[in-house]
Amino acid sequence: MKEMLPLTEAFYYILIVLYTEPSHGYGIMQDTEKRSGGRVKIGAGTLYTALNTLLNKGLIELYPVPEGTDARRKMYAITEMGKQVVEAEVARLEELVQVGRQALITNKR
Amino acid sequence: MGDKLIKRRRLTMSWNFEKEEQWLNDQSRQGLHFKKASMISSFFARDESVQYTYRLDYQTGQTIGNSKFQEYLDLYQDAGWEYVSSYGSTWHYFRKVWEPGEQPQLYTDRESLMMLYKRLQRVMGAMLFLNLFIMIINMVNLNTFFTERLWTIGIPMMTLYVGLFGVLGYGCWRMQKKVNELKLHG
Repeated sequence: MKEMLPLTEAFYYILIVLYTEPSHGYGIMQDTEKRSGGRVKIGAGTLYTALNTLLNKGLIELYPVPEGTDARRKMYAITEMGKQVVEAEVARLEELVQVGRQALITNKR
Repeated sequence: MGDKLIKRRRLTMSWNFEKEEQWLNDQSRQGLHFKKASMISSFFARDESVQYTYRLDYQTGQTIGNSKFQEYLDLYQDAGWEYVSSYGSTWHYFRKVWEPGEQPQLYTDRESLMMLYKRLQRVMGAMLFLNLFIMIINMVNLNTFFTERLWTIGIPMMTLYVGLFGVLGYGCWRMQKKVNELKLHG
């Protein structure tokens, strides 16, 4: 699991979005853009490749499409392993930010 | 507008797909919008009222018309890309109405772009080895059937193969260069 880290921004956002709730490809794109304040836009090719990689590694899985919604759109959900990976990544990032912040405070210009 | 398609020479190698994109975008600026490609020609429809940004995607393991392919197209369509056509079952052409100041990309980070180049490199490498294998078998066969004047067929064949290996090897090398550049500079 540790060898997955660090996650790329695209992988990170996909997992974070799915950590909240299952979604389809387009939903992931929009949600990522919204959560990052418009900074991170995942292109279609990048998303398609990333979703396939995450499926193969077992970090996400297909989610049965609920009745009454567009059945053509595949939906994805995060797996237990995916949750562990994203939690480990958040912990790693927290450590990085903490160390960085400390250095900035103690050496204030 | 008219339905008549305009034909243009298409001389492109797989490792130059970004140049082909550039070419299609230049054509589109002049009102010629790409419709489909054959090995040596590209076909365009004329329409002066619109301009598109074209992008090529390379995907292996797709069968045109099956449900997995449809899902792939749906995802790109959701992201605002109109599917134009495919060349073989690996090269897929997409377009989006051109917006000033925008350069929409299919691949938005370096990791996925590197994976794309590596996919291409893997296929070219596999073709190289497959052909090497076929060449050896052919040579062995020739040797048994044409004991006399072997060179009359052997030399032209060798020349063709060397040319083919040169092209494929060059393609692999170009992809490796692109991957290395991305590793260095992002």
